[in-house]
Amino acid sequence: MKLPRRLALVITAASALFVLLSAARPQAPPSLAGVVDQVNRKMVKLFGSGGFRGLNSYGTGVVVSPDGYVLTVASPLLDTPDLRVHLWDGRRFQAKVVVTEPELDAALVKIDKVEDLPYFDIAQAAKAPLAQAGDWVLAFSNQFQIATREEPLSVQHGVIANYSKLHGRRGIFDAPYVGDVYVLDAMTNNPGAGGGAVTTRKGELIGFIGKELRNSLSDTWINYALPVQVVADFVDKAKRGEYKLLVREKPTGGPAGFHGIVLVPNVVERTPPFVEDTFPGSPAAKSGLRPDDLIVYVDGEKVVSIKEFRDIVDKARPGTVFRLEVRRGDKLTTVDLKLEPLPPGLSPKKE
Amino acid sequence: LGLLGGSVLLCAGSFGTASGQDIDKRVLEAQAERVAVIEKIKPTVVAIFANGGQGGGSGVLISKEGYALTNFHVVQGSGPVMQCGLPDGVLYDAVLVGLDRVGDVALIKLLPRKEDGQDFPHASLGDSDRVKAGDWSLALGNPFLLATDFTPTVTYGLVSGVHRYQYPESSKGLLEYTDCIQVDTSINPGNSGGPLFNMDGQLIGINGRISLEKRGRVNSGVGYAISINQIKNFMGQLRAGLDTDHATLGAFIENKADETQTGMVVTRILEDCDARRRGLDLNDELVSFAGRPVHNRNHYQNVLGLFPKGWRVPLVYRRDNDKHEILVRLMGLQRQEIEDGKPKPPPPPPTLKKTPIPDSPASKFYEAKSGFANFYFNKQERDHLWSGFRKHGDFSTAAGTWTIETELDRNQKKTPARIVIADEKGSDGKTVKGMAQLFLEGQLQYKVEPLKAGQEARDLKDPPSSGGLLMALYQYRRLLTMGDQGFEGQFSHGGLEPFYPMPADSPKPKSLADARLDTEVLHTEHAAVPAKWYFSPKDQALLGFEVWIDREEDPCEVYLFDYKSVNGQDLPHRIEVRYSNGLFGTFIVKNYQLAPAKEPMFGRSKE
Repeated sequence: MKLPRRLALVITAASALFVLLSAARPQAPPSLAGVVDQVNRKMVKLFGSGGFRGLNSYGTGVVVSPDGYVLTVASPLLDTPDLRVHLWDGRRFQAKVVVTEPELDAALVKIDKVEDLPYFDIAQAAKAPLAQAGDWVLAFSNQFQIATREEPLSVQHGVIANYSKLHGRRGIFDAPYVGDVYVLDAMTNNPGAGGGAVTTRKGELIGFIGKELRNSLSDTWINYALPVQVVADFVDKAKRGEYKLLVREKPTGGPAGFHGIVLVPNVVERTPPFVEDTFPGSPAAKSGLRPDDLIVYVDGEKVVSIKEFRDIVDKARPGTVFRLEVRRGDKLTTVDLKLEPLPPGLSPKKE
Repeated sequence: LGLLGGSVLLCAGSFGTASGQDIDKRVLEAQAERVAVIEKIKPTVVAIFANGGQGGGSGVLISKEGYALTNFHVVQGSGPVMQCGLPDGVLYDAVLVGLDRVGDVALIKLLPRKEDGQDFPHASLGDSDRVKAGDWSLALGNPFLLATDFTPTVTYGLVSGVHRYQYPESSKGLLEYTDCIQVDTSINPGNSGGPLFNMDGQLIGINGRISLEKRGRVNSGVGYAISINQIKNFMGQLRAGLDTDHATLGAFIENKADETQTGMVVTRILEDCDARRRGLDLNDELVSFAGRPVHNRNHYQNVLGLFPKGWRVPLVYRRDNDKHEILVRLMGLQRQEIEDGKPKPPPPPPTLKKTPIPDSPASKFYEAKSGFANFYFNKQERDHLWSGFRKHGDFSTAAGTWTIETELDRNQKKTPARIVIADEKGSDGKTVKGMAQLFLEGQLQYKVEPLKAGQEARDLKDPPSSGGLLMALYQYRRLLTMGDQGFEGQFSHGGLEPFYPMPADSPKPKSLADARLDTEVLHTEHAAVPAKWYFSPKDQALLGFEVWIDREEDPCEVYLFDYKSVNGQDLPHRIEVRYSNGLFGTFIVKNYQLAPAKEPMFGRSKE
């Protein structure tokens, strides 16, 4: 049987749902094209540093103010002076990072010289009750960098499978955020999806797609989103310049810890922190560090030189755990480096 | 109301346990509607099994004769014959018909089981340009080769994006997904070649690719279907058994150097490509291509991927704030590579698996020939075209001298012109000399002898600025009087192509798209001169032809109008001749004299 042409193509999103659902005739489910278009206008594509396996140079963001604040995930993507944002209409802007919050894995970036951008009012969205398991959702992101410029983001559909504590990890490290998240049955855990939006089928923002993480219990990739209520305070204060970073306590004072990494000779001012060797039995050896590894990040901080690496690591006490991201070949690997007391017979060497 | 709609999927999922009383009637009706659509489209889905049972995929029937679409990469491993299961539980033999390696499409044909033929169930083709992100879709197919009883697996999901561009998968440029449909509908290995339907049960795409990274070769929520509108452009080529090629413009188009500006400009262009001869040059800004606006690289790649090589499509560019519309002849993609501005010989295309063709009932419908996926089907289409054309008149008896009295309208001047075409015996009484002459005001002005040895291209291009009109008319007479016997180099069907006859009363239509006609093409070659003949698909009337004296240059274009019957033979009475960017002139025919052969010039093996 041939169905009559549906009205959905010519009327706007909100009214489309009403008309179609109240129609007496049985219909195939209505197209969501109108909603998809409206949400897409409130989202951006981000392009920054990266570009090798495990570290993509692209991502997704949600516009949270008409004057150009954009919420995205805190990731190495943002570590560049050349961070670019593509709006839904194809306009391109340089963006700067306002605040990153490693504990939420969230960041706020800003583009200038814009006004009247379509945006999500996060404070308003956060007043809504939490979504429930079984609720039907749409997910928007620029996964796999399918879109550039005015090309629209990808949209997926799914159901909130659970509202539960996140047991995530990246590499061998537990994810910093340990609160409740929406677990989705849509395949949102794809490269570049972090920073994407999860909405109701009316296009109301309810969540924010997090970083790519594995479930630390089942070792599978986990499709999840942070509820908008979790990030609303961060966005609000960061926009006003009042945000104070959440501080993870690190043991300080007393003798410095021992890691056992032998770096290459520090011959120039910015010698990259390449691992030359590790002391047998040392924390470095236990962590799996290997000669020729290049240390790129320490606890999420970028280190470009041996000096920067030592500034962070050499003052830490035994027992401190550092998250190192190292480049090995063309892959990024994360290792866990737990400092130990200095073995007898070794004295701290200074340059 | 939003929530009510939002529970459609869930209710469907928990239907078995619910008593039914709390489910909204409309939800049940929507479900029933969806089930009905699936019931309707299911019989068209093909489970393809490679010969020998190694691998396979999916396909979909698109005609009652048993033509079915699938992916090139599905038939790549199986060779020209294969076996296909339909949901009726019957296994059919099938044969490869046509190939589009770059677009990852193959056309196959299932053989009827019954002697007197049978009508296959088939899908109706939708309009993929109307599909939008947010529409629902159904994918049917044979994921993980589960369909051992040939019943397809159905998955249901959202269109995630349209007009997507996905880079070629091989360094040779094959398996490039242009202007494709992205879905979150589950697509897994084995779904390849299977149909994507809209919720009206119309075929909108052929599923063939998924984005992968860390999960391995399974659904990642990101699948791609080749849009059916792209396949429609290639359908004539596929049905004609061609190993068809995609196209390139011969130019690099890149974003403007200034990041804040939108717009694409020509940054490199081949010296001798058609686009340049039509006027496109460095730094020109591309405005639209084949009627579509082009704002970024993906748009441009998408448009290029839509058309087979050789097609002419309109292109609008801007130079110094002036817009220009030109008709560009697209170059083959696999034949030339742009590097240092020079075309290079093509890399050998990867071939279908070279296994001996197994003894299958389908084998007798397969004929290998270079440049063709299956020459058997080319002959079928070609012979159908030719027999249709012959209904307009049998010229085989008019093999003598042709004398055409005309008035040539050229440069606003009208001149009496006589055209004489003949095959003459040489002085030895055996060798044949072809010749074509143009008399203006009774005086012999130009003469071309196509078969004479040792001539240069310019000797054959008379009259000047026509691109070789006399050679073209010589080929025309040869086609009409001798048919396939007259073309030792090539005589094959070329699929479907657009053709752009200009209106009689104005030099240029308002837009080139208005002038477009779809035509069936015949390729011929005689005396090392290739020609392309354009026929109406309706009644196989010859609408015009193009003849290349030099393959690297523009052809002489001849457009035929005002057909009238002369002694039972349909002949054109207005002949328009174009070359390069201009009109050479128009011949208004007063009189045809087509003399019968004095004696048989050539042995005719036919009849």
